[in-house]
Amino acid sequence: MIGPSGAVFLLLFVAPFAFLFVVSFWRKKMFVLEPDFTLVNYSETLADYGWPLAFTLMIAFAIAVLTTVLAFLFAYAIRFHAGRYANALLFVTLITLFGGYLVKIYAWKTILGTEGILNSALLTLGIVDQPLTVFIYNPGAVVVTLTHFLLPLAVLPVFASLRGVREAGLEAARDLGAGATRVFRDIVVPQCLPGIMAAFTFSFLIAAGDYVTPRYVGGPYTSMIGDFIEGQFSLRFDWPAGAAMSFTILGAGLAIIALVRWALGALRPR
Amino acid sequence: MTTVSGGGPGGATPLVRLRGLSKKFGDVAAVQPLDLDIFAGDFFALLGPSGCGKTTLLRMVGGFTPPSTGTVEIDGQDVTRLGPEQRPTNMVFQGYGLFPHMTVRQNIGYGLRIAKASDAEIAERVGAIMTLVRIGELAERRPDALSGGQAQRVALARALVMRPRVLLLDEPLAALDLKLRKQMQEELRRIHQSIGGTFVFVTHDQGEAMGLANRIAVMEAGACVQEGGPEEIYLRPKTRFVSSFIGEANMLAGERRGGTVTLRAGIAFTDAGPDGPVVLVVRPEAIRLDGGTAGLGTTGRLDDVVFLGPYVRYRVTLASGEEIAAHSADTGRRAGMAVGAAVQIGWEAADHRVVAGT
Ligand SMILES: Nc1ncnc2c1ncn2[C@@H]1O[C@H](COP(=O)(O)OP(=O)(O)O)[C@@H](O)[C@H]1O
Ligand SMILES: [Mg+2]
Repeated sequence: MIGPSGAVFLLLFVAPFAFLFVVSFWRKKMFVLEPDFTLVNYSETLADYGWPLAFTLMIAFAIAVLTTVLAFLFAYAIRFHAGRYANALLFVTLITLFGGYLVKIYAWKTILGTEGILNSALLTLGIVDQPLTVFIYNPGAVVVTLTHFLLPLAVLPVFASLRGVREAGLEAARDLGAGATRVFRDIVVPQCLPGIMAAFTFSFLIAAGDYVTPRYVGGPYTSMIGDFIEGQFSLRFDWPAGAAMSFTILGAGLAIIALVRWALGALRPR
Repeated sequence: MTTVSGGGPGGATPLVRLRGLSKKFGDVAAVQPLDLDIFAGDFFALLGPSGCGKTTLLRMVGGFTPPSTGTVEIDGQDVTRLGPEQRPTNMVFQGYGLFPHMTVRQNIGYGLRIAKASDAEIAERVGAIMTLVRIGELAERRPDALSGGQAQRVALARALVMRPRVLLLDEPLAALDLKLRKQMQEELRRIHQSIGGTFVFVTHDQGEAMGLANRIAVMEAGACVQEGGPEEIYLRPKTRFVSSFIGEANMLAGERRGGTVTLRAGIAFTDAGPDGPVVLVVRPEAIRLDGGTAGLGTTGRLDDVVFLGPYVRYRVTLASGEEIAAHSADTGRRAGMAVGAAVQIGWEAADHRVVAGT
């Protein structure tokens, strides 16, 4: 028995997902999809898009790690150093951090561009006499922009799990001989692993699937797989290829997430 | 080998020596500068009403709260500037502070693991301490699956397994219901005797302090107002506050002039001391009804007689309007006492204390 929400879930998420998965084994002949069971779409994905795939996983990993670390520091500061203002501070900061996706992309273009704020400042201060081009149109700009976009999404789950960490436990650990590092590693982090994993998973999957940010601030050498997938669907109408690429990045991404989860599991108490 | 009472003053050097120790939070003087000595083997109580600074004082000893002034010395070493991880103390926190992501066994073994004890040693010491506090069967549980009493024992075991020079306990029994509290009180006494350690605990319950401690420091508004053995504090309270806080006490107002105290209740006697308002403190069990002979006395109206098992409690109103409670173990005599009748009350001068104040 499934309720209405179950039906909606099936219809909106599971069905298209399952359909795409099936399509990834089909063929495309003259703009027509032909049912089949072939792995050629996958082998072509690996052969033709191996580099964008690897690059996407690397940059998404970097973004997810950076976002999760920043979110953790941020949530930690609010949780343990803001006292009774914690909730108000969290609310205000999240409000300012949230904001349209495109708005943030343009904001960073405005800051990092050759005629942007950063260059104007450097020129005015006389530190450089030509606008620097190293700020934008490179992977770094993508990392900065996406991290800024993802931060509030990552702060929430981390803060939620940090809220459950009681001060008495931290004091007890110190009392038993743990220095700051051990308290952090043995008591704080293990208790908020679910929040950390949620933040990392969100950030990683969203970053790995993004194709708008690299297009606007990434420059010609930032080739992320999302961009190519979008092309397969919208320009070439090669659904089997697009689907195979999607499931390849999804599979690789989930494998990396599983690996991270396993690595963090080393922090579980013995 | 059991240690029932500590060294006490006059013994060897104190294990814990506090000098001029105080703490201010902004404008609030949580603890006023105080000196305190705690000796090896002591079961020491910091007793006082809620908010009087007991926890703050204990936390300064444990290294959790940096003092505003003064020093903490443990075992002859000045530890004032050391954090809790560097002090030979361990604490049982009021909320227990168990690690929710660890099993009971992991909780108890954590300190030893930090100290880099071998797995074999950890297993042995954790096992032994779990037997001592009788929680052997809880080893693989998580804290959220423990009752209050069980969590209390785990917290105790986790601190004791470190073999602290001084064990600090913050209101160790406050969260337990009455029956458990009595049981844990016995348990704490047994454990203290069997390991012969030094325990310092905070409580607002005078019965608990009397029942457990061999020395008690009574605190009032951040100051230590009296320190001594339970008997001394009960029988010779130095201030009105101490006498009212410890056990039940009758208080009679009066005034001292030239070495003579005159009570409002109409009793006068000689008692050396400075002139001014005084309060006479006398315990209910020291009051005799119709005693007649020596000592001090007056008459009053018997208002109430309650049979309480081991003793009978009488309530008498004096001419001054003040009330006196008297406890008598002679439970057979109440038959002849009529409520509303006049009775003679009296006590021996040796049984009362006169303290300055109103
Ligand atoms: N961290 C703190 N910040 C500000 N004031 C505090 C803090 N801790 C305790 N106090 C104040 O110090 C006084 C003593 O508190 P505490 O030591 O907890 O008393 P007790 O344990 O005897 O109930 C109280 O007035 C309390 O409000
Ligand atoms: Mg307290």
